[in-house]
Amino acid sequence: MRKVDIVGVGMTSFGKHQDKSFIELAVPPIVDALKEANMKPSQVEAGFCSYALAGRLFGAVTAGQTILWHAGINKVPVVNVENACTSGSTAFHLAWMGIALGQFDTAIVVGVEKMVVPNLGLISSGDTEIDTLEGLVTPASFAMRALCHMAEYGTTAEQLALVAVKNRRHASLNQLSQFRDPITVEDVLRSPMICDPLTRLSCCPNADGAAVVVLSAAGRSRRFTAKPVRVAASVLVTGSYENPIDLVPWETDYRACKKAYEIAGLGPNDLDVVECHDAFTISEILHYEAMLLCPTGEGGRLVETGATSLGGTIPVNPSGGLLSKGHPVGATGVAQLVEGVRQLRGEAGARQTEGARVFMAQCMGGDKDGDARSCTANILMNN
Amino acid sequence: MDEPVRDVFPGIFEDSKNPRLIGGHCPGCKRKFFPKPIVCPYCLGPVGATPLSREGVIYSFSIVRIKPPFGLPQPYPVGLVDLVEDGLRIITLLDPLKTEGLAIGKNVHLMVEPLGVDAGGQTCLRYYFTPV
Repeated sequence: MRKVDIVGVGMTSFGKHQDKSFIELAVPPIVDALKEANMKPSQVEAGFCSYALAGRLFGAVTAGQTILWHAGINKVPVVNVENACTSGSTAFHLAWMGIALGQFDTAIVVGVEKMVVPNLGLISSGDTEIDTLEGLVTPASFAMRALCHMAEYGTTAEQLALVAVKNRRHASLNQLSQFRDPITVEDVLRSPMICDPLTRLSCCPNADGAAVVVLSAAGRSRRFTAKPVRVAASVLVTGSYENPIDLVPWETDYRACKKAYEIAGLGPNDLDVVECHDAFTISEILHYEAMLLCPTGEGGRLVETGATSLGGTIPVNPSGGLLSKGHPVGATGVAQLVEGVRQLRGEAGARQTEGARVFMAQCMGGDKDGDARSCTANILMNN
Repeated sequence: MDEPVRDVFPGIFEDSKNPRLIGGHCPGCKRKFFPKPIVCPYCLGPVGATPLSREGVIYSFSIVRIKPPFGLPQPYPVGLVDLVEDGLRIITLLDPLKTEGLAIGKNVHLMVEPLGVDAGGQTCLRYYFTPV
């Protein structure tokens, strides 16, 4: 396998982009990322474009070819990717794989979603699934995990709320985040109940947004940039769907992170900064545990110590996370990597983790039989 | 004459008066499934239909307070219920009239009633578990 580097990134702000179509939203960050990489469109040898909802919302079919053509990229292989909330990180995984296996030397990953539209409703695992027909909506499946975590390990509602408070504090330092005003534990607990015990401020909001990553075979990356960032591991796994399965600890999440550590030859103590899939407050606590940032059951107490805040021993979601930025499904997994690259290059401004060398992005998507449909773990590092 | 009310999902339960959920059973692997899979995912052999236990124990639950899908009441509870006899943990609607006093470990049993609509927007018979 060849080594692979990220040589350019770009992203829009996350929030409402009512003046732009789904296609229009995706193009400017491609131009930015190519400019950053000093790469001409004709030098891009493959494209991977992820979106999860645009088919349903706008009837988009194989939109990646249209989006990339607008940015001057044509003729090369283009793949459209849907893998629920990991659509973006899956597109990245495929681009990484193609370069690592020597199929091409450069590739672009474009994650885009436009979902601030009337009557979007709640995300579920698909309208024809029996679980959905029986009333399972995504926040309810995480609310059930939260209840189990509270019952099993004594995690409190206040500890859950602290995740949202911390991520919002981080977001105040990120101009690209949809919500940036500070919130308190009380604000979180008193916001309207969505699915007990998760309140509105415990759930990530919808957003429009796009994010882009440009990759190159490591041997060629310095032709494009003086600051390439190495992909130390890229892992994609699927749930086990064993029955019965426990909601906590989350075996699939642990399995993805463990595999990423093994491939990178690193462990949790090597990480300097992390982005994880905080779709709900409980999610971040579960992901702490799967990433081995703390023992199983200790996630609630970890956030309380401040270890995962900026300035702490292992800052998590310095971007503000999904809870502050919002969650444009197809873009989220790519945006996590954009934040990681900016942290590792020392370009994260007021939210910079000093001297960050190793970054992990954990992302998770979909619901099936009490498990995730997909989970990705990507580790990036400075050379 | 009115058409009979349809089931929320074809073949998912039998006998709405004295209901049983219909799962799958692989005679080779001696495993049960719910819902019944197309073939056994462990040995790829054929799977027979088997009625499951009416009695369950709440493993976890939540009360959905936002605008409900499929014409369900607001709020409604949803849970993961252990069918102890079958060794299965299933996602299911819980009794919308009994959102108070739900707890992990509570015993529940199966009911079928006209409740909400199906994927096609038609009134349907839906299963749920109610506290014993």
